Amino acid sequence: MRNAAHAEWTKLRTVRSTGWLLLGLIAATVLVSALATSAMHTSHCPTPAGCFEDITKDSLIGVRVGQIAVVLLAVSVIGNEYGTGMMHTSLTAHPRRLTLLAGKALPLATLVATASTLAVLASLWAGRTILAGNGFTPEHGYPTPPPIDGPTLRAAAGTILYLTLIALLSFGIALLIRDTAGALTVVLTLLYILPLLATAITDPDWHRRLEKLTPMTAGLAIQTTRNLDRLPIAPWPGLAVLAGYTATALLLGTLTFTRRDA
Amino acid sequence: MSGPTTTPYRSALTGGRDTFGRLLLAEWTKLRSVRRWMLTLISAAVLTMLVGLLIASGSGGTREVTGGGAGGKVRLADHYTDGGQFVERELAGDGELVARVNTQERSAGRAKAGLMIRASDAPGAAYAAVVVTPDHGVRLQSGYDRDRAGGGGPVPRWLKLVRAGHTITAYESADGTGWRRVGRVDPGQLPQTARIGLFVGSPDAVEVERQFGNEGISGQTTTGKATFDHVRLTPAQPQQPTGTWHNRVGPDGSTGPSGPAVERPGAGPPPGFTEVDGTFTVIGTGDIGPDPFGEDGTQTILGGVLIGLIAVVALGVLSITAEFHRDTIRTTFAAVPRRGRVLAAKAIVIGAATFVAGLVGTFGAFAITGPVERGKDRIPAGLSDPNVLRALIGTAALLAVVAVFALAIGAILRRGAPAIAVVLALLLIPRIVGSGLSVSTATWLERLTPAAGFAIQRTFDRYDSTVGPWTGLGVMCLYAAAALVVAGWRLRRRDT
Repeated sequence: MRNAAHAEWTKLRTVRSTGWLLLGLIAATVLVSALATSAMHTSHCPTPAGCFEDITKDSLIGVRVGQIAVVLLAVSVIGNEYGTGMMHTSLTAHPRRLTLLAGKALPLATLVATASTLAVLASLWAGRTILAGNGFTPEHGYPTPPPIDGPTLRAAAGTILYLTLIALLSFGIALLIRDTAGALTVVLTLLYILPLLATAITDPDWHRRLEKLTPMTAGLAIQTTRNLDRLPIAPWPGLAVLAGYTATALLLGTLTFTRRDA
Repeated sequence: MSGPTTTPYRSALTGGRDTFGRLLLAEWTKLRSVRRWMLTLISAAVLTMLVGLLIASGSGGTREVTGGGAGGKVRLADHYTDGGQFVERELAGDGELVARVNTQERSAGRAKAGLMIRASDAPGAAYAAVVVTPDHGVRLQSGYDRDRAGGGGPVPRWLKLVRAGHTITAYESADGTGWRRVGRVDPGQLPQTARIGLFVGSPDAVEVERQFGNEGISGQTTTGKATFDHVRLTPAQPQQPTGTWHNRVGPDGSTGPSGPAVERPGAGPPPGFTEVDGTFTVIGTGDIGPDPFGEDGTQTILGGVLIGLIAVVALGVLSITAEFHRDTIRTTFAAVPRRGRVLAAKAIVIGAATFVAGLVGTFGAFAITGPVERGKDRIPAGLSDPNVLRALIGTAALLAVVAVFALAIGAILRRGAPAIAVVLALLLIPRIVGSGLSVSTATWLERLTPAAGFAIQRTFDRYDSTVGPWTGLGVMCLYAAAALVVAGWRLRRRDT
């Protein structure tokens, strides 16, 4: 297991695209967060305090775009090996398939979690600084610097978990599909198109049900720090829904991987 | 060891002429013969239809009947509103109504106070109206969509509406003696006995508000108020039983709040009218004319295109990156060394194939959602309704342009997954980031990113429209053209 993890770590480390994608994750997350928050202003609120603005959640909005890099990285870890035929070599070196998979998933998850931590911290800092300049100040009920309290920690740690779960979900789907482009398409559909369809369904009951079951909407509930009663699903149960998707994808992916000829 | 000289084998066939037509045929054969790609194309069409059906069955029932229609059914193609306050009398045959709009509250830039003649009290009835507005002068309006500027200054202003047979002529005057003709219209279907009277309306104001992390744009009711005097209807009409001034009868049979005023909390004075010594004070909410707040039924059922779009993007990208991946691109370029022409042929083939699949998808979605809407007592839009054909064909064209754009990005990046990620991110970014964005940011994203192309799905201009239908599609086309130019340049400059 250690050997497998070490070998896979070397592969991941030495592929040039890995660094670019992790950089892309951080850059896209921070940039989108900064751009989005710079256009938010208390003058758009009924009253400056009447906005009930969730500073933490707004600062982390860039994750919605940055996660594309995570998906891309995770599906290439599997997909590119099938694409180049490298999978045969890997399996010859590590015939125990479960060990090989664990050896691949572990470095991937570690890398994504590390880069996510940087992205989340930088976004939080950028978003809070920018929003404080846009009227979200202590006089209006938005403390600066905002307290590092329970909900904020939950949002920050939860977002890192969210991105890691997205990586593993993509990993699992890539195992099922064995093709980088195909797996990417499926994951992006699951993440982005399902919530759009949920908004197109105006029937309130179905809308609510769909919102609870879409991986991105449910998973990102973890970013909310106030007015939790307005969420379609509570933060931790929401993340659990995403974890359910991830577990299912990993399970099915592992089953097919261990039973199917490479 | 020496033998007879052997001539190397030469095919007896003469080489085909290097025409663009043959190149197109070759590319079409490639596309057609890969089963996975044809399945992708078919699934794009089928998914567009099925998801449209799903959306149609999961939506509805929330639209207010402001426009009315046949027997309480909502016609989804009707995008007019028939509100405001109409204080009316019957007018048998020809005649004229004169009144002076003495004061008008500035509740909206297009708040209306003036004279109207209409066929009946039913919603959507034919009408013609000459009105004063605070910011846009005197207007002559009819048919819920015709609006003619009539010049004129601020209130107080005299207005005159003359009926002669089928035609209505409107005049305006500053002093009640020197009249200037505003225009003449035929509202159509005006019965012998029509209704004529005073009209006050005030369109909803569009407000941007941020709350609970969402920034939304919505319509807020405004209340218009105006006073009229010197009201004179000629010829004099019989006083009884319907000869006195009264409020228009609502679609539910109520006469509106003309009796004891019902106070609505926080809504300002209730609509209605009072008359004191010949001075009429009329208060009205809502507007008559196009309804920018209505639901775009055609756009809604075309929502399935988002799913079809994914398939189309994947197809566009893979049709070129697969050639790089499998190295068939070398064969392709060996056969046709002019690389720009190969790219052009690929773009034409993929664009045309996607356009056809898109047409099947959009017209299919249109056809199969019709019965669903009818089952909900809603009358679906017909192909002859305004802009419906534009939306259906335009959406198919949008898919074709997206496919070409994806092809170009694929040719630039040469790898499938990154190209798909880039194209989808560009197309979906306003929707990905979602309602947390400020409205101004979202507006500019919807104008400047390829997502502008979705504007072609609209059948009328809504209050939250950010870019015109053709402009939006044009933006998408510009992106595709620019990407094609870069792709062509890169293909020529780089080794395979």
